[in-house]
Amino acid sequence: MKTFVCIKYVPDTSEAEVKLNPDGLTVDDSRFSFDINDADNYAVEESVIIKEAQGGEVTVLSIGPKKSEVMIRMAMAKGCDKAVRIEDDRIAAHDPLMVAKVLAGGLKDQEFDLVLTGCMANDDWHMSTGVALAEELGVNHASMVNKVEILDGKVKVNRELEGGLMEVVEVDLPAVLTIQTGINEPRYAPIRGIRQAQKKELNVVSLDDMGIDAAAVNADASQVVLEKLYIPEVESSAEFIEGEPDEKAEKLASILQKGGLV
Amino acid sequence: MQTFTEKYDLLGCIQCGRCTGGCPVTVRADLNVRQFVNDAYDEDKLEELAKLAEIWDCTACHTCAVRCPKGLKPLEVLIGLRTMIVESGKVEPTVRDALQSVLLEGNPWEKSRATRSDWMEGLDVRIADPDEPVENLFFVCCTIAYDPRVRAVAQNMVKLLNKAGVDYAFLPEDESCCGSEVLTLGEEGLFEMQVEDNTEYLNEFKAERIVTLSPHCFTTYKTHYPDLKTPVVHYTQLLVDLLNDGKLSWKGELPKKIVYHDPCYLGKQGGIYDEPRELLKSIPGAELVEFERRRERSLCCEGGGGKMWVESESKKERLSDTRIKDAKELGAEIVAVACPFCVLTLEDSMKGLGYEEEMRVAEIMELLGELMET
Amino acid sequence: MGNVLVLAEHRQGALRDVSFEMLAVAPKIAEELGGEAVVLLMGSGMDDMAKKMTGYGLKVMVVDDPAFENFNAEKYQMALSALLDDLKPSVLMVGHTAQGVDFMPALAVEKKLPLVADVVELAFEDGTLKATRQLYSGKVNAVVAFKPADTFLVTFREGAVEAPEASAAGDVEKLDSPLKEEVPYRKFVEYVEAEVGDVDITQSDILVAIGRGLKEDKNLPMVEELATAIKADIAGSRAATDAGWIPHDRQVGTSGKAVKPKLYIAMGISGAFQHLAGMKGAKTIVAINKDPEAPIFTVADYAIVDDMFKVLPKLTEKLKELK
Ligand SMILES: Cc1cc2nc3c(=O)[nH]c(=O)nc-3n(C[C@H](O)[C@H](O)[C@H](O)COP(=O)(O)OP(=O)(O)OC[C@H]3O[C@@H](n4cnc5c(N)ncnc54)[C@H](O)[C@@H]3O)c2cc1C
Ligand SMILES: Cc1cc2nc3c(=O)[nH]c(=O)nc-3n(C[C@H](O)[C@H](O)[C@H](O)COP(=O)(O)OP(=O)(O)OC[C@H]3O[C@@H](n4cnc5c(N)ncnc54)[C@H](O)[C@@H]3O)c2cc1C
Ligand code: SF4
Ligand code: SF4
Repeated sequence: MKTFVCIKYVPDTSEAEVKLNPDGLTVDDSRFSFDINDADNYAVEESVIIKEAQGGEVTVLSIGPKKSEVMIRMAMAKGCDKAVRIEDDRIAAHDPLMVAKVLAGGLKDQEFDLVLTGCMANDDWHMSTGVALAEELGVNHASMVNKVEILDGKVKVNRELEGGLMEVVEVDLPAVLTIQTGINEPRYAPIRGIRQAQKKELNVVSLDDMGIDAAAVNADASQVVLEKLYIPEVESSAEFIEGEPDEKAEKLASILQKGGLV
Repeated sequence: MQTFTEKYDLLGCIQCGRCTGGCPVTVRADLNVRQFVNDAYDEDKLEELAKLAEIWDCTACHTCAVRCPKGLKPLEVLIGLRTMIVESGKVEPTVRDALQSVLLEGNPWEKSRATRSDWMEGLDVRIADPDEPVENLFFVCCTIAYDPRVRAVAQNMVKLLNKAGVDYAFLPEDESCCGSEVLTLGEEGLFEMQVEDNTEYLNEFKAERIVTLSPHCFTTYKTHYPDLKTPVVHYTQLLVDLLNDGKLSWKGELPKKIVYHDPCYLGKQGGIYDEPRELLKSIPGAELVEFERRRERSLCCEGGGGKMWVESESKKERLSDTRIKDAKELGAEIVAVACPFCVLTLEDSMKGLGYEEEMRVAEIMELLGELMET
Repeated sequence: MGNVLVLAEHRQGALRDVSFEMLAVAPKIAEELGGEAVVLLMGSGMDDMAKKMTGYGLKVMVVDDPAFENFNAEKYQMALSALLDDLKPSVLMVGHTAQGVDFMPALAVEKKLPLVADVVELAFEDGTLKATRQLYSGKVNAVVAFKPADTFLVTFREGAVEAPEASAAGDVEKLDSPLKEEVPYRKFVEYVEAEVGDVDITQSDILVAIGRGLKEDKNLPMVEELATAIKADIAGSRAATDAGWIPHDRQVGTSGKAVKPKLYIAMGISGAFQHLAGMKGAKTIVAINKDPEAPIFTVADYAIVDDMFKVLPKLTEKLKELK
């Protein structure tokens, strides 16, 4: 089984205050911590689980800055064999269709049975890249996958639908699967493993190296324009209960009681 | 490669059982550390031993090491077994995330490095510069830097130092985790890397001493950083010197019954028992009482040994609960500690037992801070 | 032609909410374009659903073909590709759902058309179609403009707008199935329900919901005590179920359950849209979160900005007392 896994380096914004840069088009990420995208972490684990069961090879593919290499080495420490990091300022990163095109360029001329991506990136929430990538590659796909079973020449997967329902489908290989969180329990990448992974092959390539015409994937090529970012007003009709923790608790208790809610 | 037996000197063990006899967690968990020292001799059995849940019950309190007549460190056998699990990658998600955060952000709390110095906001703090020699170089600790509950330890220290006119500087936000919990969680490789990186980083500064706020950093630097140029002290040592030089004075008084809990990392491992007590005694109006189990025999709070990220299976009473009940029996109104982990574990128990009205858990710096202000 | 084509989504014989919600947006866009909004239904045995969709004064085009009995991304892509050529709509709107995200990006690539995904607002400005979408767990909004193209593709977020009131009946037009060849690859096997345990949270009157803010399962007893005191069931965010604190059938949200309790107390939940989507039906929402910026506060009726562990014990105690 030859697998590629596409991973993205993203900021963690769950607790942090988000501020915009003066250009109005980018976010000030100087105070964020960065890590592998949540879903991609599960995709890496799934690729390694598949390799452990079926044999074969896993290659990491990522578009991202130099500092993301630690994430790539961690994936290699977990069992991925090789990596390609694509870095090029000219990519229209706001458009997942362009990102997919670049990833497809990285897979061109490669043999593969499976490509795993995350189902969604924590920062941009497009849920588009993996499915677009499948089309670029001209192969089958299934999105939002939370169970994978490799069969002969095909793969049987559970797709997670709304309302706690699972759709079970079979697709022929090769295929792209976009992996949902919770499909497995990602392992830890010990430092000794990361150190050994330094010896594994990590190629850094630009669009030119891959033979991709920048004019096909840059902002001009994209059919959408990121006009502006803005911080939405927290439009709230909520009644904020003030005071010391205990006072807040008491006030809330009596509101609930008086309102007949409990 | 050294064998397990060589590495931990297992042949030295005479199976006297003093280690297990003193181990505090035996009352809640199945851990029998003597048995591990015995069984680990058989290399073929190691993998099986590493899978036993109780290896994660050890709090690294070091009681066993203090008690062993042969000078062995029985707990290290347990940590060695943890290392086997860590290196297989199959650790609890909580442990995984804490360790990964140490690698990526320099702290186990999954916080961004850029926010490490946020606790300084609004304070007049002198920041260390490798080009400017300083007498006292302060190392804050990840927990004190990020956890709002114990930030006051550092904040009050700054106020106190400014007032006492001490020559000091705090490390900027590129200060990184000392590795205390990384070591005890068994991530040997990461710890080695931290020792290398931190030694290089700290050796850039010209200081007479490094002052640590947490006993975990204190002991770790003292015992595991052979190439560190600068001597390391715990803040209570520095403050006692300042006290004796007449540089510290308190306003107002604190007419309370205070019991001091010896943190394992400061006492059993750091050998510091008297300084915290002297500081507490200097508080006007305070009455210092003592636990029956104190100093070398102090009861562990279960905060160390990576236990912040591993929950015991045991539903039996927590040691911190026992400790708080003992304090209650003594009639103590304040349980004073000199360790951020002890604050968190003991306060949790104090709240859990419902003693909030009549009892308080406080880091010594919190108490001193209040006496500076009033 | 300036039309806006809205693909109505359905599953297991029932139309999905987003199908109606998009009808609140599509006619306005069509008007700007000088065209009309048209509903497209694809499935097998569609008469009942077609009738329901006609209640909004819009034309409903129906493709009735046994091949569409169950959703299949490959078939949808193939059919829509042909229909885009035939009908030449200016905009194609599809729900941003497990179905929509499974074929729209591929369709966009195939037809070389622009796609903006997970849109919460769609409007014309100075003759340009602009879509608003959210980034960073809803902390930042982005406005994305379409460059000129034959058809603009949009996946629209479920729950972003309210469905319009039903109005006059529209016409139904049957289309020939654009599916010509049998699709060889993806095969639908079955639907399986996530395992249901002893409690069905969709039926609960009161829910205490926990999120990642719970931190670890040893904190669960505190929440259980509150739940017992007010006869609530415990539910949670995906973060809480992934962590194994509560069983998967207690998950609230797009991939969990949609709940409609009279009281929903969210603790340590940030309020990701997937979560909000599942709880918007709650009558009264209380949110306790230490981050004043947490999006959960945008939907809350009563809000406490604080550490849930500081508030919880007293809240439980007081509620017990008041009983
Ligand atoms: C204002 C703004 C500025 C941005 N600036 C940049 C920038 O300067 N540089 C930049 O790299 N990105 C940037 N991005 C991120 C970029 O928008 C996304 O990478 C791209 O749109 C893909 O969409 P998504 O991340 O939402 O992926 P989704 O469609 O949600 O899919 C996610 C999956 O696709 C795969 N994937 C996505 N991106 C990558 C990648 N880079 N490498 C490998 N696999 C990937 C992963 O498996 C991931 O789980 C920016 C986004 C915005 C909104
Ligand atoms: C396809 C898909 C489907 C999904 N479906 C669902 C779904 O059905 N349901 C769902 O819930 N999620 C779903 N998610 C995940 C969703 O995006 C969020 O990741 C998730 O809801 C976050 O859970 P949370 O709010 O518990 O955690 P976080 O976002 O991490 O928020 C934790 C919150 O707790 C607060 N907090 C922390 N400590 C405390 C404290 N001591 N006191 C008070 N507050 C505290 C923090 O400030 C923070 O706001 C889905 C994701 C995808 C991609
Ligand atoms: S360090 Fe403490 S807890 Fe661990 S084995 Fe020794 S005595 Fe027991
Ligand atoms: S105390 Fe030392 S010598 Fe005695 S059993 Fe324990 S390890 Fe062996």
